[in-house]
Amino acid sequence: MTQRKPALRMEQISKQFPGVKALSGVDLTVRYGTVHAIVGENGAGKSTLMKILSGSYTPSAGTIEVDGVKVQMHKPADAQKLGIRMVHQELNLVPDLTVAENVFLGRMPRKRGLLDRAEMSRNAALVLRELGAAIDPDTRLGDLTISQQQLVEIAKAYAAEPRIIVLDEPTSSLSEHETTTLFAMLRKMRDAGMAIIYISHRLREVLDIADEVTVLRDGCMIGSRSIEGVTPGDMIKMMVGRDVTDLFPKTPSVIGAPVLEVRDLSDGEHFSGVSFDVRAGEILGLTGLVGAGRTEVARAIFGLSRVTAGSIRIQGRDVVITSPAQAVRAGIAYVPEDRKGDGIVPHMSIRENISLPVIRALARFGRISVSADKALAQRYAKRFSIVPPDPERRIGLLSGGNQQKAVLAKWLATKPSVLILDEPTRGVDVGAKAEIHSIIGELVAEGIAVVMISSELPEVLAVCDRVVVMHEGAAAAPMMRDQFSEERIMALATGEAFA
Amino acid sequence: MSEGLVGMQPKPDKGRFGRQNRYLDMAARGGLPFAILAVLVYGTLASPVFFTTGNFVNVLTSMSIVGIVVIAMTFVLVVGGLADLSVPATIACGAILSLALQPAIGTAPAFLVAVSVAGLTGLVNGLLIGYAGVNPIIVTLGIGTIVLGIVQAAVGGVIVYGTDPASAELVKGRIVGIPIVVIIFLVIAVIGDFVLSRTFWGRWTIATGGNYSAAEASAVPVRAVKAGAFVIVGVASGISGGLLGLTLQSARPLVGTGYEFSAITAVVVGGVSIMGGYGSVPRAIAGLAFVQLLTNVMVLQGIRTPIQGLALGALIAGAVAADIALRKRGVV
Repeated sequence: MTQRKPALRMEQISKQFPGVKALSGVDLTVRYGTVHAIVGENGAGKSTLMKILSGSYTPSAGTIEVDGVKVQMHKPADAQKLGIRMVHQELNLVPDLTVAENVFLGRMPRKRGLLDRAEMSRNAALVLRELGAAIDPDTRLGDLTISQQQLVEIAKAYAAEPRIIVLDEPTSSLSEHETTTLFAMLRKMRDAGMAIIYISHRLREVLDIADEVTVLRDGCMIGSRSIEGVTPGDMIKMMVGRDVTDLFPKTPSVIGAPVLEVRDLSDGEHFSGVSFDVRAGEILGLTGLVGAGRTEVARAIFGLSRVTAGSIRIQGRDVVITSPAQAVRAGIAYVPEDRKGDGIVPHMSIRENISLPVIRALARFGRISVSADKALAQRYAKRFSIVPPDPERRIGLLSGGNQQKAVLAKWLATKPSVLILDEPTRGVDVGAKAEIHSIIGELVAEGIAVVMISSELPEVLAVCDRVVVMHEGAAAAPMMRDQFSEERIMALATGEAFA
Repeated sequence: MSEGLVGMQPKPDKGRFGRQNRYLDMAARGGLPFAILAVLVYGTLASPVFFTTGNFVNVLTSMSIVGIVVIAMTFVLVVGGLADLSVPATIACGAILSLALQPAIGTAPAFLVAVSVAGLTGLVNGLLIGYAGVNPIIVTLGIGTIVLGIVQAAVGGVIVYGTDPASAELVKGRIVGIPIVVIIFLVIAVIGDFVLSRTFWGRWTIATGGNYSAAEASAVPVRAVKAGAFVIVGVASGISGGLLGLTLQSARPLVGTGYEFSAITAVVVGGVSIMGGYGSVPRAIAGLAFVQLLTNVMVLQGIRTPIQGLALGALIAGAVAADIALRKRGVV
């Protein structure tokens, strides 16, 4: 590869927080016309580094050069002026404005002091077409799917014609198919000469899209190299400093009688005629593209939304579930997809979060038993090795993986017979992911039936005993483990082989 | 495994403001006691009557009636219900009914009926807010106006007088020098604090205000919890209004005017978040004590009423701004 001109050069960047050295002596060079991936476990320093690059933090030491010029950035506006644009994991868009208005937010074209809507719409259409995104610029943003919104967010960054675009976990809400679309966009941007920094947990994606990769661990740079010849195993080894022989260990377990049976479930909107069953000690995968109706099925089973037809049986008995409280009584637990939105109460402690669904049972005459409350949290914090091990810490301050473990603990405290996990390892680093998988393995070994919704095919293939693939609200017949193949699942998910 | 690594991670949210954060944290926690102390010291130096038993009993008594509403209003703010603006109406309900029904059914039953009707008003508020999902400000403003209208129509817009002087003596009575009203307030405060900080209902209230969707997905009956907070305010305002009526031995429909403002001011100055999910009864009462003492000092100093209003208005605006600023920085 020819050595292109560097768009960004960070040298010996360190960032000291009181009591913690978040970054020490990190060097990063990103060249024009390349995609540079940054990988590392949660807490490795990726987000600190990006916050320095976006002007949110100032480094304690080190120099930054943009386009060969030494710069000082004190606020995000400084970074934007230098042509650095961030695409955040959480979307920064206004749902009630149109796509075009969002793309040009803050710098809308004007004519005689008034907004030039026609011009704006035209330009937005141009940008979207250039990126190969089939989105009408005059649609209200809120009417788009999350994944389309993600593409708009990228178009917004692209339209500002930046030197450097930083994408933070851009595929976490995309299905495999949409990821392909996104990558096509990124390649166009790269070929247009932009420098792209790509942060991701998904190593296969990194191999697919990146030209160079930098690995961070504990705030230090472990290495920076060209992607050629690098394997996922190499990257994992650099990230965790050890060999991870089996990414997704599968614990064998004894499969028993059906615990949850879903028959012809419909909600009249997102899914119809969905049938499947899960047996004790079994992990049933529920997969499909984003928007196929997987989460909606899970929410309906858990009583968070209404069904219009169909039946649910738990351990052979028909149950009617119209609220989460009824679902919990029936023995169903649900770890939601949106951890921050539906999983945790960020201002409450780990302890208060864990005991929330069972708090009434921990109370006598209304008064919560302090010792029972504490014991419960302590037990699970220890069992799942939640870090920090102090259950009085505010849960919002924990890393994603540890929050997820606390959410799992919360649901196990209800002693469920069926556990529905919706994207349980999304946004979680490699180490924590393996831990969560081993926790799931322990649970099925204890005889709990698990439904796991996941968009990550390797995860589904490795962990599940059977898989039900959904496509546009319908569910295919379950596929047995010995019939698993990525091709077959993708064919079903995209509707190509859908009966 | 990786626990070691994950455990060592920096906490960007916490680290961001570094040392300043610790000071902010101290200011958020210790600011109010310090402010109360400052007012006490200033009042003592500035006015000879301030630091006397008589003055403190007066402050406590005037604090108690609104204090009962403050305790309840804490639940509304914590549950994420913004504020209850129907307080003037429910107070009027409590005051007028407990006096007007006295001749017919006796003092205690009249008081109970008054409190029940106020509680019922709170229930209507609660159902509309918790179950129908209507904005709390609109609901409580609307229902408050309706109830006040009904009360006014019922008594014909005139002043209702008490007919049982013994009841007035009872309320004005003292036990070991402490007025009965103050004792009732303290008892309700202890109950309110117990419910919010020690019971499952309190935990549900805080969780619902902290993250409604997560609480709902955690099998918390969020609608009932939200509605409950407004019932609590209804009942508390009914009690407050009843005591007010019995103390004054007269009640007009506008007797409760301004109490909603005083209650909200106290709760917000106490550092209870208007965005929900955070707050406690002792904090709200500390806020009330500060506002009352400040008002008392201003009165004793002969500061004119408009200036007093200005000071209190500035206080509430400042407290809300501080709340938002602290939340942004992840303190509290």
